[in-house]
Amino acid sequence: MNQQKVIFSFFMILALTLNFGFFYGEISDPDHHNVYELLAVVIVNLIATVLKLGDKSQVGAMLLATSLVAVVQLVAASMIWTYVEHISGTGLTPLTMSTIVALSGGAMLANVISVILLMIEVSRFGR
Amino acid sequence: MNDVTAFFLRRMQAPLLLIVIVYSISIVGLLMIPGVDEDGNTWHMSIFHALYFVSYTATTIGFGEIPYPMTDAQRLWSIAIIYMTVISWFYALGTVISLFQDKQFLHERHKLTFRRRVRGMSHPYYVVCGFGETGRAVVRALQAEHYGAVVIEKEANISERRLDNSVEYVPSLNADASEPESLELAGVDANKCRGVIAVTASDEINLQIAISSKLLHPNVKVICRSDQKEHEDNMLSFGTEHIINPFESFASTFEMALHSPSMHLIYDWLTGAPETSLSTPVQIGEGHWILLGYGRFGQRIHDILSEKGIRTVVVEPTESLNRFFNSHDNRDRFIVGNGTDADSLQRAGIDSAAGVIAGSNNDANNLSMIMTARQLRHDIFVVARQNMDKNRRLYRKINDYYIDKRHDDESLKNVTHLTMQTNEIIARKIRALLIAPLLLDFIEQSINMDQEWANVTISRLSAVIGDHRPNIWMIEINKDGAPGLIQALGYGRHVLLQDIMKHPHDNTTLLACVCLMIKRGDNFTLLPDGEMELKAFDKLLFCGTLDVKHDMLPTVHDLDRLNYAMTTEYQPEAYVWSQLNRVMHHIDRRSGIRGKPVKGRSKTHKTDNGN
Repeated sequence: MNQQKVIFSFFMILALTLNFGFFYGEISDPDHHNVYELLAVVIVNLIATVLKLGDKSQVGAMLLATSLVAVVQLVAASMIWTYVEHISGTGLTPLTMSTIVALSGGAMLANVISVILLMIEVSRFGR
Repeated sequence: MNDVTAFFLRRMQAPLLLIVIVYSISIVGLLMIPGVDEDGNTWHMSIFHALYFVSYTATTIGFGEIPYPMTDAQRLWSIAIIYMTVISWFYALGTVISLFQDKQFLHERHKLTFRRRVRGMSHPYYVVCGFGETGRAVVRALQAEHYGAVVIEKEANISERRLDNSVEYVPSLNADASEPESLELAGVDANKCRGVIAVTASDEINLQIAISSKLLHPNVKVICRSDQKEHEDNMLSFGTEHIINPFESFASTFEMALHSPSMHLIYDWLTGAPETSLSTPVQIGEGHWILLGYGRFGQRIHDILSEKGIRTVVVEPTESLNRFFNSHDNRDRFIVGNGTDADSLQRAGIDSAAGVIAGSNNDANNLSMIMTARQLRHDIFVVARQNMDKNRRLYRKINDYYIDKRHDDESLKNVTHLTMQTNEIIARKIRALLIAPLLLDFIEQSINMDQEWANVTISRLSAVIGDHRPNIWMIEINKDGAPGLIQALGYGRHVLLQDIMKHPHDNTTLLACVCLMIKRGDNFTLLPDGEMELKAFDKLLFCGTLDVKHDMLPTVHDLDRLNYAMTTEYQPEAYVWSQLNRVMHHIDRRSGIRGKPVKGRSKTHKTDNGN
């Protein structure tokens, strides 16, 4: 059993699943989206990105690209949340909430592509 | 993603991962541990504040406890945060620094930079493999002919140090040239690469380079150095264009010097480095020759001498090489002796000898023999084999050794020695190849001409060139090389050699140059007459100064100019050009054109061209 491959796949799938968990629910209702889950999503996506660094193959390049896309969108979502909570005095409005969730939805799509690529690669070379 | 970036990212994976994980743990811990505000209520840190705190703690900035002083539980966790995060930051920084010192990383960067520079070369270039003395001479020759050069050399730092003085920029790669990757990086398969020159110290590596180059790019020209016959044959078998065997080259040069010193002088002058001027010919007297060292070099020299009917006396320390001794002439003798002491030289008859050949593979022995010989007879001719590059200065001093003022007569001013310097020989051959391969044909064809012919040639050449550097160029009569001329021949006109040698502004004088040879198919005509008729696909070899070359080229390119050269009437296409031509004509006459008058007409008696 290849330990490195297990860890690699583990984090990619964890990223996707956590992302889905955060995303699911009424898009503008703050009660449906937990900020700590967003934190977890960001952390796990970062870990997954770091694991994908430095691969020179075509597949590796695409995986890294999808991870970077996901990270960008999630960081943007976190920024908006931080701004709304701490910097401007407005607090979470339905508009901002839906923006945040929409961005995380984009990140989720990137994670989906990532996982699909992983599955294709495994099915091509693995048993 | 290129190799360098990939290497860098892979190395940074561990530190980055550590940072992310440590940060996450720290932040989550801070979120969970409750704090107490000023009124005593519990509160929890927000993610944003936790990230802020961890950031300035990890980078050891340390602003303070925000927004309220921390509880002891929080402080305990902060201690853990400090040690975890600071260490992981230092680990990341350390990795980056060690990366930039890592040999493999630096080598990857070096290769990438090299590749980029090669792709950016503006001139056509040759790839030179091996940057010892020979490589340096070759690069100088290439630059003199305005070609670019790209260098591959295995030993580190050699290239940077020596290339600092170079005129133009020469990209250099520090790698083993026999590896195909090196050749690929050097752009062997690019259009701008004109050829590969393999002049490393080892025949096997040169062979390897030749094979790799031919496989990577079958059309690339390969010039190889080879010391041994079996490698030479191997290289020829897969189509190496030129193989330079320094021993063979020297042997034929020596033959030339024996047979016709003037011919040797011509060869020396035409193929020499740009700074060489016409020197005096070698002077070889009558008598037998004393040969020290009967190895590869010695045997070849012995063969040449025997062919010319010159008696040889071989001196060897032991009897062992006696069995190789082919006594072509039964007057040849084989003496066992040191060769470096006066006694053995006396036994070999140095008093009546024409010359000595220091041909052993040990420089100290060679130099010792030469010095002893010169002491016994200060005017004896010396042929020396230089083995190691670093001793070249010593060999150069041979002519100066033992110049006693009492004997300071004219004979000593002549060249009385010939040194086989491997690098110089190779560089010379390559220079000749670059300028015009036809030049080598010329030398080959003229080796057998006699002394008078050579003298005539020298005087003609020095008349047109004088003290300047001789420039050699080739004109091939085809659509690319001489479009105007080909057109004229296509119309069925008869063009003579002297027609294209006419001055572009004044068709009564000839340009100051000499046509050395015309090659027609497999026939060679040396020093052709001016009245010789030119045919299509002829190859003409000229020698003159550089501006003369530029003057001649328009005549063969433009049909109009050719017409002017062949007739006495210039048919200009437009009024403006005819007036311009008249003006230029007057300017040239004032400044004085260098050239020979045609058919006895003097320069002041020019016919007006009817304009």
